[in-house]
Amino acid sequence: MADEFAKGLGILTTSGLAWMVLAGWYFTPSFESNAQLITAAPPAQPTVWDQIGIFLTDVFLWFAILGALTFWIGVPLIEQAREAWANRSS
Amino acid sequence: MSDNDTPETETDGGTGIVPPDDETPTWSERKERTEGLSRLTYEYFERARREDQDLRQESSYVERDVLGFPAWPHEMIRNLALTSFFVGMIVFLSATLPPEMMPPANSSSTPAVILPDWYLYWSFGLLKLGPLNPDLALLGGSKLMADRTYGVLANLVIVGAITIVPFLNKGAARRPVEQPFWAAVGVFGVTFAFTVSVLSVKNLVPMDSHLLFDLTFLLPFVAGFIAYAILKSMREGYMFTLNRRYYRLRPPK
Repeated sequence: MADEFAKGLGILTTSGLAWMVLAGWYFTPSFESNAQLITAAPPAQPTVWDQIGIFLTDVFLWFAILGALTFWIGVPLIEQAREAWANRSS
Repeated sequence: MSDNDTPETETDGGTGIVPPDDETPTWSERKERTEGLSRLTYEYFERARREDQDLRQESSYVERDVLGFPAWPHEMIRNLALTSFFVGMIVFLSATLPPEMMPPANSSSTPAVILPDWYLYWSFGLLKLGPLNPDLALLGGSKLMADRTYGVLANLVIVGAITIVPFLNKGAARRPVEQPFWAAVGVFGVTFAFTVSVLSVKNLVPMDSHLLFDLTFLLPFVAGFIAYAILKSMREGYMFTLNRRYYRLRPPK
């Protein structure tokens, strides 16, 4: 039980950190001023690297959400269902 | 422990520190904790106790020397790992999301909203307890002291209460499970520190300020009651003899 929690938490924090950085680069026009690492977000003419980053933003976000949900809800649910099924058939 | 007719070899060096093997629960004790939070609590402490026992048995030190483990490598590797992680996180964040250097503050103009630093919000919130300042019928409905005096007095009361804490006898408890009531009081205090901090910035909270004022004093009680209930249900799975060998070193007053 504790291991599944740690896996979900690891996915949530690691993937969430990557999402936070990419969203800060490409989807935040300004925090306090316009002097950001990538000046105008989102860039008008994205390079290949920009396109990869913009694509990965959503990937990381959904990986964080679905990964945590899988290990916190999905896997325990399946295990309990299998256990209940085994008890029922025996 | 059980039979006194067989002479036992004294291996503890006369210190009274005994290895935890005699605290190993019996199979009937294991079976009693079968479900829910009490089982989780039991598994957690049982695993901690087992790891402790394994480390003691693997160690080349004699028992009287391993009450604490040597700083190298046990403690140092853990500390270095934690330090590397946080330093790496600081470097990573400052490289990827560098904070902007704002222009220096203009001392000749006062900003519209004046707030203390966030860690002083609790004190700032205590200054806003005006609605609690009672108006006395004896004085014809006027208040005994001004609201601002009342707020300063509230600060003195809270700071005074926190100052007294180190002088109270903390008792023998080593974990919140052992003293659910005082743990609940602690949860109450932490929650109240948070809610009164939120109250101090009530202009920024999208909520009716009267409701917020009521919640400021209700939520700590709710959190305290929940903590008490959870800890009470955890007691069923807790090994109260777990800390016995520490008590022998530092007996409770």
